[in-house]
Amino acid sequence: MSQASARQLKIRAMVYTAGEPVPFFWPMRAFIHHNPLHGLEHLAFADAVRSGARLFHARGFLSRPDYQTYLAQEHVCVATLTDQVRAFAAAREPIPGIDLADCLMTLLTKMPAPVIIETCLTHPAPVHAKLHNDATVIAPAADSRQLSAYLRTQLLEATPVQEAIDALYGTDISATLDERIIHSCLAFFDEGQATWSMPNREQGFFQAWRMIAERGVRRRLDRIETDCRAQGAPFGPEDVIDYLMRDLGIDESLWAGYFTREIARLHGWAGFIRWRATAKHYHWTHTHPGDLVDLLAIRLTLARQLIDRRTQHGMATCRGELAAMIESRLPETWLRYRFHTGAVAPDLAHVVDDTLARGRSADIHAVFTQVTATDCQRDAAQQAGRLRALAHHAGNPKAFDTLPPESLRHAMQTLADFEQREGMIWLQAMEGHAIHQLLDGITAAAPRPPGNTAPFAQALFCIDTRSERIRRHLENAGDYQTFGIAGFFGVPVSFIAADRGNETHLCPVMLTPKNLVLEMPTATQRDPGTVIVLKKALHALKTSVLSPFVAVEAIGLLFGIDMVGKTLAPRHYPHRRGHRHAHPPGAQLMLDKLSREDASALVRAVQRTVIRKALEHDLDSPPQLITDELIGKLHSAALNHDPTSPTLIDTPRLSAAQAHAFVDRLRTAYGINPAFEHRQMEQLARIGFSLDEQARCVATALNAIGLTRQFSRLILLVAHGGQSENNPYESALDCGACGGNHGLINARVLANMANKPQVQDRLRAMGLPIHSDTAFLPALHNTTTDDIQLFDLDRLPPSHLVYLDRLRDGLGRATQLCARERLPDLRLEPAASGPATALRDARRNAVDWSQVRPEWGLARNAYFIIGRRTLTHGQALAGRAFLHSYDYRTDTKRRLLESILTGPLVVGQWINMEHYFSTVDNERFGSGSKVYHNVAGHIGVMTGNFSDLRIGLPAQTVLDNGKPFHQPLRLITVIEAPFDQALAAVNGVVTVKRLVRQGWLRLIVIDPQTHITHIHENDRWRRRTRPAATEELRP
Amino acid sequence: MEILIVAPLLPLFPLSMVYTTLFGRLTHPWARAALLLFWPQAGLLALAQTDANLADGVVVWALASALLYALRALALREAGLWIAFMAVSCWTLLWLFAATPAPRSLLHWQALGLSAPLVLLTVLNANIARRFGAAYAGVSPALAHCAPKLAGILTLTVLAAVATPLFPGFFILFALVMHTAPTTPWAAVAIASVWLLWSWSGARLIQGLVVGPAGSTPLNDLGAASLWAYGIGLTALGLAGILLAGALL
Repeated sequence: MSQASARQLKIRAMVYTAGEPVPFFWPMRAFIHHNPLHGLEHLAFADAVRSGARLFHARGFLSRPDYQTYLAQEHVCVATLTDQVRAFAAAREPIPGIDLADCLMTLLTKMPAPVIIETCLTHPAPVHAKLHNDATVIAPAADSRQLSAYLRTQLLEATPVQEAIDALYGTDISATLDERIIHSCLAFFDEGQATWSMPNREQGFFQAWRMIAERGVRRRLDRIETDCRAQGAPFGPEDVIDYLMRDLGIDESLWAGYFTREIARLHGWAGFIRWRATAKHYHWTHTHPGDLVDLLAIRLTLARQLIDRRTQHGMATCRGELAAMIESRLPETWLRYRFHTGAVAPDLAHVVDDTLARGRSADIHAVFTQVTATDCQRDAAQQAGRLRALAHHAGNPKAFDTLPPESLRHAMQTLADFEQREGMIWLQAMEGHAIHQLLDGITAAAPRPPGNTAPFAQALFCIDTRSERIRRHLENAGDYQTFGIAGFFGVPVSFIAADRGNETHLCPVMLTPKNLVLEMPTATQRDPGTVIVLKKALHALKTSVLSPFVAVEAIGLLFGIDMVGKTLAPRHYPHRRGHRHAHPPGAQLMLDKLSREDASALVRAVQRTVIRKALEHDLDSPPQLITDELIGKLHSAALNHDPTSPTLIDTPRLSAAQAHAFVDRLRTAYGINPAFEHRQMEQLARIGFSLDEQARCVATALNAIGLTRQFSRLILLVAHGGQSENNPYESALDCGACGGNHGLINARVLANMANKPQVQDRLRAMGLPIHSDTAFLPALHNTTTDDIQLFDLDRLPPSHLVYLDRLRDGLGRATQLCARERLPDLRLEPAASGPATALRDARRNAVDWSQVRPEWGLARNAYFIIGRRTLTHGQALAGRAFLHSYDYRTDTKRRLLESILTGPLVVGQWINMEHYFSTVDNERFGSGSKVYHNVAGHIGVMTGNFSDLRIGLPAQTVLDNGKPFHQPLRLITVIEAPFDQALAAVNGVVTVKRLVRQGWLRLIVIDPQTHITHIHENDRWRRRTRPAATEELRP
Repeated sequence: MEILIVAPLLPLFPLSMVYTTLFGRLTHPWARAALLLFWPQAGLLALAQTDANLADGVVVWALASALLYALRALALREAGLWIAFMAVSCWTLLWLFAATPAPRSLLHWQALGLSAPLVLLTVLNANIARRFGAAYAGVSPALAHCAPKLAGILTLTVLAAVATPLFPGFFILFALVMHTAPTTPWAAVAIASVWLLWSWSGARLIQGLVVGPAGSTPLNDLGAASLWAYGIGLTALGLAGILLAGALL
């Protein structure tokens, strides 16, 4: 490897490592919940929040007033809060005359804003003087070393040069740079939204951008390329990065941090580019490649260009000049920094501006002295006021007045440290409340008497929190038993729908499905060609540059009818228009594996058809002359590389050369060659499942949830999906375990498998005593309306049809009750309204195109419960719990538990963390208000017509009138299993072990044998005994 | 020569510096308000004493002064100075009216119509300065977050000052453009340019004072009484604009 290539590799590796803190961003078509701080999960939660806050300029906890509101609403465990405050106070030196614990509790619960002003920590003397109303103390002279160190931290460490220049000169280089980068990303990564797409995209992001960049940029890049070529090195974006970083004067030891800052500046786009570069199966990655190295090279090039253009003579334009400016012209630098970052006192702003504009050194020194002294005095006065207010609230108004200066410094330092840790203290206290609430409910749950007969029906629901409500109501509606299982039902499939050509992965994103399921239409459909042509024509009409000028007058009114219909009759109009199809009518799933012979015959049949078409198309052969023998010979010639094609040569219309050319064309253009045939065979081998695989899938699913006996006659496999109109976040309401799609296909696949007599025979052989009259029935739970629709009823045995009325009746009642329970939270209907009215309103809500909040989705998720249903049966968890059924007695080897921890729990943690961070800082970690969203490139959304790709959840999903609706807690995970067994399983899954130990998950183990509850807290286990009620419970 | 006596009062650059210096020295809002109200009236009275017809050169000088101060206001961030510069830019346009055959008595009402929003803005500026120390765009915390009522009133007042429709300034400038366009189209274009610069600088001022990140210090918004008072003031300006439109157009 040449030195230049090694250098390129090094830079590439550095950029990839630097990009790791930026979370992946999946396209919105299949919304994937993710932890915005996933890249920092190797750190402890508190440290990661601190780092994330610094990196993304975001907040990691709610504001104090929000926590105080929760305290007032009794959502905070006061005992936990007090314990933590006491523990903090006990670890500190006492402050004379002050009850520190009491003072800190007052600070938490009664002070609305932070008490300590950071700058006062360095100068407590003026604060002391202010507390004593001592006017004789003058502000200390500014400490140049401190100011210089502060400026170096703010402007030099990992701060991009253009940001430092903006902070010193008030330029807007960074904003302009972001704007240009967004334009470039929108143009290159567009997935079909743009009418005119960027040219040369197949050459990659950097090269395509370079070709259309402005002349100055191109010239600069040409120079860099010439330099590289002159040294005999290849040229690529890595060389651009190398050159420009040296040009900016950044020491190589600081590059990684610098790259991270640059990449994180537009973390939405960066996250999408990161994900896209790793998604090998993604169509657009193949056609238009681009990665973070390209992005960074473009960013640095544009930054350099803008710096050169926007700066004037005498301004610092690289890291070395900035450092020199801090050292040699500290007063000016300080004034510039304070003024242009808006930190200077407003009444001094004009003087500072004027002085800086004049540039006279003596004046600058004088104003610098004035500004620093004034700032110090004002901060001290403000600080003294805040301390007095705290003392007043604590009932000891003179508490700080009497302290000597050294004690005051200590007190202020203690308060500052406490305010740093405050967020974690509140969080743990809120989690304490949630844990007690759950565990008290578990203890108090009335045991359900064990039955000897199977219930009327059993239903497997997704573990999704929205299933908790409907499960509870269904259980109360009659003789129903419900189970929770990951929404893909343990069957990871890649699916190709009847009217689509692309594969959709229906499983959690961390899995790659091996098996492919095809949907084959069985009923005659309308002429699809005509429909497609009409749709394309309409699309072209809407997106063309010129046609809207005439189309609006000509057919605009037709669109108006649609709008009026949807607005005035939201419930009835969509049905009449008939634009929603759950799935094409009369479609069957191709589920069984093809034998090698069948697959080979299928490939041969396709190849023969292709040859026939090729003869017609390329040689204009009349159909009557194309015999099977001729096709056979051509087929053989193409596959066996037989150089002669006697029949063709005999044809008077073709010469031998033409015949050879045709056979070659068959091999190259039409893919009739052994290599392509091999690939086709491989693809066909992916279709379907063998009988053993099918039996294994069903057995695993049933064992995982502990459904190993007492099978009902009807077993529902209830998938779920949301329903909304005009909603780019539509897929966020679907099933996370199905890769952001609704889970009906997985339910249908598993039901089809389980209904097969051969599969059932194998299940019985595996020890699952499934009855011959047990029928599995797929269903779809519409989480927006709570309707449950049954599917594949035509496959139900006639003997079971008589039970359908009873089943529908039970489902209908559960639906209504569930809608009534949910609706008050949506502010649609008072709690007193009847179930039927509630259901009607929920249905209307689902089809209302102006509705920004069709449902609350997974908001307020807090618990992940792995155990038998009896653990929480009867406890109303208000849709806050992921419920995964698990019976430790059927899992002596812990494999089932480990697989639950590996897949569903990790997905649950992503969902939980996304909700957490979207709530605590919706602007940075969430996506702000939906009202301003616009779809960008069919990838994601932007705020307004121009912004970074918005990651996270919109305000309407987690906030209610600007206040948190979702309670931001870490996922409280409960495992019902013997302690050692649970611990071994957790330790066996490295990801989960890390999440638990680093505090990203709260873990509780309920030991059904010892009746002891083990709570993991601060990396230690705490015991909590509970009554021996649940061991006797049987599912 | 007589023109030079009037020029500091209906300020023409560089004699306008007399007014701007005086405005800068006065810190009390009512003193500034009085200056804004009476300075141009004094100028108009002085102008009335002169019999000389206004030469084209004076018109050019006035327009150049108006453009200069409008352009300078674009870069200003301190609201008090912005008011002073806007006032100069507004009043210089009175020279152009004086050059038209329109009755001179109307000039006093026009001067009042241009000054009144600036008087209101001066009082508001004092209100903001009392809270933050100064109304300095980009440095004072964003009013939209911490004092939305104050922010609303400020926005409307700035709009009134930059002659947006319904307020007197709009009809005054509109009438001036209509009067000058047939005879001196270049002057009409210059007036429109001044108008455009006012709007631009007004928008920048609003953006700097109203929009942005919220400050950490809690702030008292306008009380009900103040809100009513400002509301009545703005409504009166709107009505005055409509009345003035009847006289001008």
